[in-house]
Amino acid sequence: MTTLNDTSKVSSQVATIGEKTYAKGQSNFSRSVRRLRKHRMALFGALLLIGVVLFVLIGSMLITEAQANFNNPANRLRDPSSEHPFGTDVIGRDLLARVVYGGQISLFVGVTAVIVQMLVGTLVGVLAGYMGGVVDSLLMRFAEAMLSIPQLFLALVALRIFADPSRFPDFQFMGRVFSSTLVVIVFVIGLTSWMRVARIVRSVVLALKEQEFVTAARSIGARSYQIILSHILPNCIAPIIVSATLGVASAILLEAYLGFLGLGVRAPTPTWGNIMGEANAYIGSWYYWFFPALFIILTTLGINFFGDGLRDALDPKSLN
Amino acid sequence: MTRYIVRRLLQSIPLLFIISFVLFAFTNSLGDPLAVFAESRNRPTAAQREEITRRLGLDKPLLEQYLYWLVGNDWTLVDVRGDGSVMEPGTREGVLRGDFGNSFVTRRPAWSRIEERLPGTLVLMIPSYIITLILAIAIGVYSSVRQYSFIDNLVTGLSFFFYSMPIFFIALMVIYIFGVQFTRWGLPALPIGGTGNGTFLDLQLHMIMPVFCLVAIQLAGYVRFIRSSMIEVLSQDYVRTARAKGLSERIVVQRHAFKNAALPLVTLIGLDLPFLLAGAVVTERIFAWPGMGRLFIESFERADVPVMMAILILLCVMVVVFQILTDVVYTWFDPRIRY
Repeated sequence: MTTLNDTSKVSSQVATIGEKTYAKGQSNFSRSVRRLRKHRMALFGALLLIGVVLFVLIGSMLITEAQANFNNPANRLRDPSSEHPFGTDVIGRDLLARVVYGGQISLFVGVTAVIVQMLVGTLVGVLAGYMGGVVDSLLMRFAEAMLSIPQLFLALVALRIFADPSRFPDFQFMGRVFSSTLVVIVFVIGLTSWMRVARIVRSVVLALKEQEFVTAARSIGARSYQIILSHILPNCIAPIIVSATLGVASAILLEAYLGFLGLGVRAPTPTWGNIMGEANAYIGSWYYWFFPALFIILTTLGINFFGDGLRDALDPKSLN
Repeated sequence: MTRYIVRRLLQSIPLLFIISFVLFAFTNSLGDPLAVFAESRNRPTAAQREEITRRLGLDKPLLEQYLYWLVGNDWTLVDVRGDGSVMEPGTREGVLRGDFGNSFVTRRPAWSRIEERLPGTLVLMIPSYIITLILAIAIGVYSSVRQYSFIDNLVTGLSFFFYSMPIFFIALMVIYIFGVQFTRWGLPALPIGGTGNGTFLDLQLHMIMPVFCLVAIQLAGYVRFIRSSMIEVLSQDYVRTARAKGLSERIVVQRHAFKNAALPLVTLIGLDLPFLLAGAVVTERIFAWPGMGRLFIESFERADVPVMMAILILLCVMVVVFQILTDVVYTWFDPRIRY
């Protein structure tokens, strides 16, 4: 569905690149920013996102990680109170602290997984589009093959293979202990979701490489990598940014699904997903699953609103 | 047309071989499938385990295992003891002859596991998909015709909201309200998990919540898709012409706009249908529903390679078949397209 939309927008964008539709003294960028600021939904999304990020940042300054892992089985499954605003979990840990620290991990996984996804997707897309021929059909067949398996299945299998704790021990970073699955899950999510980006980038590259400015660059002796880096990639930035933004939401959701199934980032590291996975057995204690889910929804909602606005703002088709 | 279909089928064959080999390599490195035997009641001795390993062909190099998985091993001899003293003919017929091997866990054909679980998944997925489509078309068309009205804004907002929601939240929410709280309040509560006692009525009661969750999750994406493709079509010249001819708005929307807007929908449905077979992993887990998603997770957790491979290959074949079918149906809906 998104691919259909994206490719149609991309081709229309390429069609208008040559036309001189811009007023004097206005860069493409400032124009986009202005349009974004007028987009009410996008602003709302940005506010939501800033809110979630501030909650996690300020929360982790006020609450130590030790508090998030401090358990007290005598105090289990307490309703929200002034002492524990989000209640306590099944072994008496403070859920507010868990949600704050889980949020750090969930947001981190979302953003870094998308970086991996964008790097791989752009690389494959540029290679396939620019080289054409055998390389193109091999890479695209491979992308198709990966698309014909549900992403959750792929991610599960890849996780099991690479997240073996005996192969990769837990590691310390900035004085904190993280489960090795954290790094693995970033790559697993990134490497199972690059296909759509690759398709989008490829279609832009295909349309661009026959344009006059590319022929001109080639005629003055520019090398392929120079053409790709300075002429083709800058023109792919808009669709890449849009799909990266929306990609963060789906990466966070995928992480949450994996965590919910108990197969994501493992203890001692909390994430919104694996808190909800634990809560699955205690549905009657609503606060256990409600708060992590609330933050997942606020984040993905914010990202989707913002990403949609971004798409409108960066799309020259909506120039008026 | 026939030539086109044949060409597409031929093209998909190497693709399927590549996918199946990659999947085979992946699933085979999931862990030791014999760990399952170790926890069974009559635990095999080390020598017996080695014998089982050889019978299953797990001692062979990956490429050879893949070959046996593909074409079977009944044409060759299996060295059971490892020293050439006992040579038995192989028993597997291979995937190309419709034999997916025996499940490591149940020791019955892997395909029979799928046959057990597929109905459960279809009973859940087909009604929810049909309901989703009907509602999505109704809501999407309605809101596109009244673009920027209050209802349209509400629909857009809500579809964004549900689009961003993880399905387990909706599931836990409805379970909490209709299962847990209704019981606490003494109201007739909905059953929380499983498929009931076998009667049709009870099955329907158990289906209400999972189907509701699946519809709620899928609906948002479809509504957005139909709305945007309707809005695009409604601004076309031929729609204006139809209105100028004095046709009633109903005819314009139904016959001129929707028919054209439905074309991309056909592609979308064709891409989504095969994945209905995969079931809904999370939903089936929450509602303890015996379907394909749970079968995959179960066989995944016990490294039951034959069952996993059977599920994955079934999906890949269906994706390929449905892609070709979609193209065929497309030419039927849109006579302008020729292959």
